[in-house]
Amino acid sequence: MSCNTSVTHVHISSVSQAQRAPVHLMPCEIEHNGPAQVSQYLTATTKDRKYEKTVSFRGRGLKGQELSCPQGYTGLVLKEVVDKPGSDQEDRTVRVSSVFDKVTYWNLETPPNSDDTVVMAMDWPELAEAIHGPVED
Amino acid sequence: MDLSSFEMDNSVSCRLASQIPDVCRTEDCCLGIDEAGRGPVLGPMVYGICFCPVSRKEKLKELKVADSKTLTEAERERLFQKLDESRNYVGWALQILSPNTISTSMLQRTKYNLNALSHDTAIALVQYALDNGVQLKEVYVDTVGPAEKYQEKLSQRFPGIEVTVKPKADSLFPIVSAASICAKVARDRVVKGWKFNEDLGDVDPDYGSGYPNDPKTKAWLLKYLDPVFGYPQFVRFSWSTAQTLMDSKAVPVHWDDDEEDGEKAAQRQNNKSMLSYFSASAGGNDQSQTHKTHRFFTERRLRSLNTL
Repeated sequence: MSCNTSVTHVHISSVSQAQRAPVHLMPCEIEHNGPAQVSQYLTATTKDRKYEKTVSFRGRGLKGQELSCPQGYTGLVLKEVVDKPGSDQEDRTVRVSSVFDKVTYWNLETPPNSDDTVVMAMDWPELAEAIHGPVED
Repeated sequence: MDLSSFEMDNSVSCRLASQIPDVCRTEDCCLGIDEAGRGPVLGPMVYGICFCPVSRKEKLKELKVADSKTLTEAERERLFQKLDESRNYVGWALQILSPNTISTSMLQRTKYNLNALSHDTAIALVQYALDNGVQLKEVYVDTVGPAEKYQEKLSQRFPGIEVTVKPKADSLFPIVSAASICAKVARDRVVKGWKFNEDLGDVDPDYGSGYPNDPKTKAWLLKYLDPVFGYPQFVRFSWSTAQTLMDSKAVPVHWDDDEEDGEKAAQRQNNKSMLSYFSASAGGNDQSQTHKTHRFFTERRLRSLNTL
């Protein structure tokens, strides 16, 4: 394991001011880090079918659904307060830029189902609680 | 021609059809198939069939239908009007393949090429006529691909029907000309009145013919390129014109089924390229873990994070 001695600070106070934002988990890697016209292109063309949502991105068919964050959890979008430091030895400070309690995740052509990785990943908090939580007699 | 059912959702494929003339259910009929808008990078491709009793072929000729490409838009509209007035013996049906259908089919994981899509659409339209009791005896098809193979395919699929597949059939057989007029009129109207589902405000309607070599179309494609999303669904993403513009002016997007190779791809996919054996060792790398992560976590792609 690389030894990481830097500390990341989170401005927790920023949570209360953070906007609730729609979040999409895409089945592809987009080499872009910055604003995008999500509501104009993606949201505007999304169709709510009976068992799934459908849309296309760059000409490819996507199928997806909404997924809630595990109970008791809130999703956070963090932004660097200052520019990312050059070395990983320096401390970093981030603020909460938006919060979410559900995500829309998209599969390439495959209808969403309970075996999808991100759906299964949501099992962990409950399992972790069972393993690590306090034991009552 | 009522296009409202397509305009309600122009992201999918849609069938429009006239009433079936009664006489087509009792008399032997001929049917023509043609397409409109195969080449353009913008808008739908429309497949059309037109049918009438074999005994009325001459009457159809008197309407002076001709290959839709040799006619002006106004002439096509006028001839469609005439066909519509002959509805007691002429029937038609159209399949509008939206540009989004074309893009997502051609770019599907298991590729579905334009020829296969065209053939399947044509077959479905003939089947539609048969299902509605049209007494088909002769089918005439215009084609761009190799005619013999296509003719064989259709003859096998529809035994008992005499199938003729010919290049330029739209100028040889009036029933094919009629089908080409129906298809072209629908394509023109759809392109002209395209309603953008994207929230783009007022879109410049000056997109030209939609053919990749039309300067107006080119200029429009440059103007409406979004760095992340590429284009609205009006554009066929599977066309090389659109792909080339996105490759040069939009941000790269990678899919798990991309056919890319070489060191860069391997690096991106976190694999080791052959070449990496020649580079200096990364020293204590983080991949050599002392214990193996349980399947529960790898299946869910869960990892411990020690940095953001």
